[in-house]
Amino acid sequence: MKIALVGNQNSGKTTLFNCLTGSNQKVGNWPGVTIDRKEGILKGTDHVVVDLPGIYSLSPYTAEEEVSRKYVFEEKPDLIINIVDATSIERSLYLTTQLLELDCKVVLALNMADMLEKKGIIIDVEKLSNLLDTTIVKISALKGEGITELISTISQGKIKENRHQKIYQNDVEEAISYIHSNINLIHKRFVSVKVLENDINFNNFQNDKVLNLRKKLENNYGFDIEQIIANQRYEYIVSIKKESVIFNPVKESITDKLDKIFLNKWLALPIFAVIMFAIYFLAVGFVGNATVDWIDSLVSKFGEIVEEFLLNNNASQWAVSLVVDGIIAGVGAVLNFVPQLIILFLCICLLETSGYMSRIAFFLDKIFRKFGLSGKSLIPFIVGSGCSVPGIMTTRTIEDEEEKRMTIMLTPFIPCSAKLPIIALFSGYFFDKYSGLVSASLYFLAIIVILLSAIIMKKFFFKSNTSAFISELPEYKIPSPKYVARDVFEKTVAFIKRAGTIILLCSIIIWFMLSFSWKFEFGVNVEDSILASIGKCLSWVFYPILGELSWGATVSAIQGLVAKEQVVSSMSIIAGFSESVSNSDLIFNSTGIFGFFTPASAYAYMVFNLFSAPCFGAISAMRRELGSTKKMFIAILFQTGVAWVLASLIFGIGSLIMLL
Amino acid sequence: MSKIKSIFKHKNQVLKSGEEGHLSDLVKGQKAKVTGLHGDNLPLRRRLLDMGITTGVVVTIKKIAPMGDPVDIELRGYELCIRKVDMQNIDIVVM
Repeated sequence: MKIALVGNQNSGKTTLFNCLTGSNQKVGNWPGVTIDRKEGILKGTDHVVVDLPGIYSLSPYTAEEEVSRKYVFEEKPDLIINIVDATSIERSLYLTTQLLELDCKVVLALNMADMLEKKGIIIDVEKLSNLLDTTIVKISALKGEGITELISTISQGKIKENRHQKIYQNDVEEAISYIHSNINLIHKRFVSVKVLENDINFNNFQNDKVLNLRKKLENNYGFDIEQIIANQRYEYIVSIKKESVIFNPVKESITDKLDKIFLNKWLALPIFAVIMFAIYFLAVGFVGNATVDWIDSLVSKFGEIVEEFLLNNNASQWAVSLVVDGIIAGVGAVLNFVPQLIILFLCICLLETSGYMSRIAFFLDKIFRKFGLSGKSLIPFIVGSGCSVPGIMTTRTIEDEEEKRMTIMLTPFIPCSAKLPIIALFSGYFFDKYSGLVSASLYFLAIIVILLSAIIMKKFFFKSNTSAFISELPEYKIPSPKYVARDVFEKTVAFIKRAGTIILLCSIIIWFMLSFSWKFEFGVNVEDSILASIGKCLSWVFYPILGELSWGATVSAIQGLVAKEQVVSSMSIIAGFSESVSNSDLIFNSTGIFGFFTPASAYAYMVFNLFSAPCFGAISAMRRELGSTKKMFIAILFQTGVAWVLASLIFGIGSLIMLL
Repeated sequence: MSKIKSIFKHKNQVLKSGEEGHLSDLVKGQKAKVTGLHGDNLPLRRRLLDMGITTGVVVTIKKIAPMGDPVDIELRGYELCIRKVDMQNIDIVVM
């Protein structure tokens, strides 16, 4: 059996999906977390459960909503679990009335039952079930209540047939039944309503008789047909709600109280700035300073032990060099930054699950709209500060096509977690006490660059209308510690895994290219190595940024395409080679190959790495969401161009300041 | 100067009970009944209808973003964010 989970945005579908299947999909407290369908197996059965993006009606508005409608119509599930947010039951039942017009069994999962009391709502479930003529199970997905009951209801097949109640006024019902008797296909009642509504998807069923029926109704009611149908659906819902729901309004809710602060006219922006600043300050400045040296010494001690062990066992010179100067130097350089990343992942997870992220979108909408973006583009940016790939995928919630494309091209500008090692390395060394400040400044620079780029793009590429901003402000919730811990753990493990795979492989390749000359002689002077000769061909590109022809910085920046943290890894290996030490602390040793870096060129080099073409993972996500390779290349060229110009400017201005 | 004038003008223009206007004319805390939807953006109109902005529904201006736009309105027991520009397409009568 195929079971589809259908419901409004932020109604808890994914939380329920995780309960039903025992899986661990990403949840959040903002509308639109789920952007594609996900499958799992219902616990203790062999039924397939499909989690779908949230929808408000079966007339989809955005690309990700279309996924849900398509699934219901084309994949023909055997059962729909309609998850209904009991705390906003009136709006939620609107979708229910549409689902009940389909030729498919429906079971209502009345979610957030635990919140009802707090909100002063009492629902007579049995009465509601009789009035809607459908099966209802009361659950709380968050607390795991009612889940066993829901599963047993499904597996025992105790679900009412869908008998298509007449919910509209008589004259409308007459028109529907006329159309109904003249078509023959699945979901007949639903299609009949759509034909009457003049929905373009069902144009082939239109005829003069239908047109006359519609005209007559529109004249009688004084509204167009879409309004008539929507009005009557809601009238029906209000009438059954009157009989089955008692509502005693409570005083000001906690959410309203908190919003008085977080959405306060004067405080909202400063609070936002402080929160964003605090995240970077905490991650890079505070935690970074406390842990980097400690882990660094661990790594170098580990290197020494391994080196000794290998030498004692008569390992050949090249093998020792491969392990110590290549693998340990490269992978170790990246692992140094795990504590900072844990803090970053934790902060982003808290932003997403607490409900604050939707507020940011809400109050920044007006500013962003001036630049051709909307509050909705902000969500990809914030998700992107963890990783650009999910950030780029989140753009599916943006309905306006051009705004979506702009957001896809701009999301990689946000410093993602893999860029954090670059920021931490340079700002930790060159700006010492101010490293937290410098890292936060890069974040705000990213926002400025995004807004300026948006202006440029709008001027040259797009004539953008921004999409309407119709969204919900979710209630504030205290994030579940269990979920937060698991989310942070998984992201951290993924980062460490990448260090053990991609970074490891690259480290070996870099080691090889540094150890050998074009004639494949081992142990040549590093200046004569393959890597150096490649870097020397291209180092002129970076001259305006560095004020120096540096093949090492050149090849390292290029490796950012593989993964941004590889920049740090590569620099560590190269520095180690030129100085015959493996301690990454000495990357910027004044006699070494990277000794030429000044604070100005360090900042400029960071800016280039942050804003230039993202890693291959993000590039392919851009390719997928933009839907064309050409557009993808335009995006990459644009990003790299912006990065190069900006970095050169910063180096120029920075050098001038340093002279003064 | 013109800015100050426009603020005063706005203040004088607060609609009183029983008066007709657009949803965008209301200030925080005001309640109104929707009398109709217009505008040429059909998908947007469809969306507003689906979200429950139908004739006869009562809406309250609940929260306003720090920069005056968008606005959070309460209707049908839930809250919806919407921009002023789109609120101009919603006809109301103040309650």
